[in-house]
Amino acid sequence: MAGLNLADDTPMEVVPEEPAKPPAAVEKLIEEAKVAIAEQEKSEKRSLSLVVVGHVDAGKSTMMGRLLYELGRVDEKKRIANERGSAKIGKSSFSWAWELDGTQEERERGITMDIALQTLNTPHRIITILDAPGHRDFIPNMISGASQADCALLVVDAAVGEFEAGFERGGQTREHLLLVRSLGVSQVVVAVNKLDQVEWAKSRYDEIVGLLKPFLVQSGFHPSKTKFVPVAAMDGVNLARREPANSMLYKWYKGPTLVDLLDALDAPTRDVNAPVRFPISNVFKGSTSGVSVSGRVCGGIVVAGERLRIIPGDESATVKLIDNDGENLAWAGAGSNVNLTLTGVDPISLNIDSVLCRPGNIVPLTSTFTAKIIVFDIQIPITAGTSIELFHHSRDVPASISRLISVLDRSNGSVVKSKPRVLTKNMSAEVEISLRGSAYSGPASRALPVPLEPFSVNKEMGRILIRRGGETIGAGVVLELLT
Amino acid sequence: MKLVAKRVEKDGSGRITVRPEDDEDMWHLYNLIQAGDRVRAAGIRRVQNVSTTGSVDSRRIRLHLTLAVTRVTWAPSAAPGAESGTTSGAPNAAPAATAMVEVSGRVAEENQHVKLGAFHTLDIEVNKDVRIEKDEGGWDSVALGRVEESCVPGRGAEVAAIVCGEGSAIFCLLSEHMTVVLQRLEVPIPRKISTQSSAHEKGLSRYYQSLYASFLRHVPYSSPALRAIVIASPGWTRDAVFDFIMAEASRTSNKALLTARNKFIKVHVNSPHVHSLVEALKSPEIASQMKETKFAREGIMLDKFFKMLASDEMRAWYGPDHVALASDRGAIGTLMISDELFRSSDPAMRKKFVSIVEDVQQKGGEVLIFSSMHESGQQLNQLTGIAAILTFPLDIEVVEAEEREAKEEAERRKAEAEGTAA
Repeated sequence: MAGLNLADDTPMEVVPEEPAKPPAAVEKLIEEAKVAIAEQEKSEKRSLSLVVVGHVDAGKSTMMGRLLYELGRVDEKKRIANERGSAKIGKSSFSWAWELDGTQEERERGITMDIALQTLNTPHRIITILDAPGHRDFIPNMISGASQADCALLVVDAAVGEFEAGFERGGQTREHLLLVRSLGVSQVVVAVNKLDQVEWAKSRYDEIVGLLKPFLVQSGFHPSKTKFVPVAAMDGVNLARREPANSMLYKWYKGPTLVDLLDALDAPTRDVNAPVRFPISNVFKGSTSGVSVSGRVCGGIVVAGERLRIIPGDESATVKLIDNDGENLAWAGAGSNVNLTLTGVDPISLNIDSVLCRPGNIVPLTSTFTAKIIVFDIQIPITAGTSIELFHHSRDVPASISRLISVLDRSNGSVVKSKPRVLTKNMSAEVEISLRGSAYSGPASRALPVPLEPFSVNKEMGRILIRRGGETIGAGVVLELLT
Repeated sequence: MKLVAKRVEKDGSGRITVRPEDDEDMWHLYNLIQAGDRVRAAGIRRVQNVSTTGSVDSRRIRLHLTLAVTRVTWAPSAAPGAESGTTSGAPNAAPAATAMVEVSGRVAEENQHVKLGAFHTLDIEVNKDVRIEKDEGGWDSVALGRVEESCVPGRGAEVAAIVCGEGSAIFCLLSEHMTVVLQRLEVPIPRKISTQSSAHEKGLSRYYQSLYASFLRHVPYSSPALRAIVIASPGWTRDAVFDFIMAEASRTSNKALLTARNKFIKVHVNSPHVHSLVEALKSPEIASQMKETKFAREGIMLDKFFKMLASDEMRAWYGPDHVALASDRGAIGTLMISDELFRSSDPAMRKKFVSIVEDVQQKGGEVLIFSSMHESGQQLNQLTGIAAILTFPLDIEVVEAEEREAKEEAERRKAEAEGTAA
């Protein structure tokens, strides 16, 4: 018996496995990319991404369509085609929006349903535009877009009654602003649209600015990082060029145009040394062989030719091509929105909301975690066990708030009360969130874990939003992964 | 379920014999049978005989066994619709029972094949009598209420619900006490890329195709017991889905489906998850039709509780201890309690909850026992499983302070009593 070493309690020494090192060629490319990115940060021309938000029918897509035309991204032929097409089904007022609203259903209904991606070139910036849907049913898509953005452009409708509808309780002007702020966007440009419908009245413009300013401050936007601009998107007034001085607007407005403001947006610094995280926001069949995925690099540098793990799952894929707006790149750094063409993988293992990581350092999976949340302006309080939808990048999963740990002081984060019975509006709290399984009993009732990281490890991977019954009830950051 | 025989004494001991008929009856049995009961039902047991020469002869024998129950397990049905087409011959009939209740324990009555104390696991079978025997106090009001409820003929109004979002669909079948998730369908749809690409449209049509195929397989649309087919979704997916189903039905001239057209109800919900079912069921379109069904009532009441929590926190209490305190003060107007609490293996716990229920009923309050196989029951389970709407506001802190005082008082008295005795 002694020979079996049964009494020996000294644990076997566990030799940690060396993480797989990327091949030398890939490593060289990463080094090159780091140098290039450092240089780019000093240069004049910098890239950033901008999400366009606002209440439904504020004119977001129309403004972007017109802006693309003004900056020469849409040629005359296409413009005429859109004009004809939209007039044919009796929706000629949507002709500019057709540039971004590509699907048949969007065009027929005259409403944006999903994010549209475009690139704008201003004198000093390369701006990736994410045109978000304004309708409340499509907020999941809007969240998916906003989590890929650095800055936001808020479009509000100046027409009488329309602005108020968007700004009221339950209006999307309000909700979108809170959402983008919670997702880490700190700069916002507010375009007051459709001023031509109120005869370019300065009083109306001032009224709207006066109403929005306090709300923006209250939502956590710094006043120096919020800019306002009056425009009329349909006619292209004050978008890219100034009108003659005698026009209605320029009698009282002497400020910059929309493009001037966009050109002056600050590009954030990127964390290129972080581990690679690439949350997938779209999977489609590319023009070449292989599958294409698009998304935003949320940390590190992705280089062509390397092999990435797909989380969740056991598969990995080789990055064959990286392209951005039709241009092939050798690498893509944190913060860039790119398409990756992947080979050596079955498309079935790629899902919208999977995360690509480098094999040596993969994102953890979790089904229960603690988070620090801020409760929004809600009517029905949050109790332990509240069913919620958890949003994280493009992922939308059912979950429940399994435990209310403590109520925190909003200003200094100290514990005010532990184990509260309910959370009411505007509270800050620490809670435990568990994902829900898909069935009521049996094996399927176990929840499938999702990739998440604590906020302290990766900011972009650690932000979550919680919604209930079509209303965003809170936003927060992941503190600790429990399982 | 059919009640075959019932003999319950005043002290709550006695036996009841029932004959389960469908999935829901299985669920009732799962809730009725508890560890410690004796259950007699038909089962199959392998019996080994060793002959004098030493050869082993093993046979399967069908026999009635009485078990002293140690464990009861429940396995929900796996897509009942899938089998109904093949087994019953008539396509699209009401689904056959496939849920399983297993009762394990030691044999309590010996017979010529099985020794006393041998272990056995019985699969409770449909259309076979089951006798449940409980000890004193076992047949409490909740258990008897359940037997009565399950033996009412003519229930079984069912609702099929499809909760869909772009690219996903969940097929559910709701009966009085159960929600069965028949299938979840997920079809990857590429999101829109550019104005030229048709990948999105292709993905969509693939999604509608597979949704229609699953619909035919799972939804017993021609069964007369099926009251309504609810299509719930955010956005406009429900319209597109309904149009597609109808278009396909007329293309393939599916008469049965076309006549079921007025069973369809389209409802707006905010998210494409199962928990939206509660939202769908309390929408005015459905609430007016389904008012008297259990699941609609549960959903409405739970909603009322949450609203009360928002408007008057002192009248909405939850958690076993708090609710017990409220019950002591006769404050409970509506008690919501999950059947999961009654399934507790600890008889003292069960007794405690039963006494709360009886107490509330005695004082004229309403008691709703939620089924944890429904979404509303799941949500109540998350909320500790018990909640109450009070008839008058009570402050928890004050009540807790009172309790503490009373306890201290009692202790002091006791100490004094001991002091004087000594």
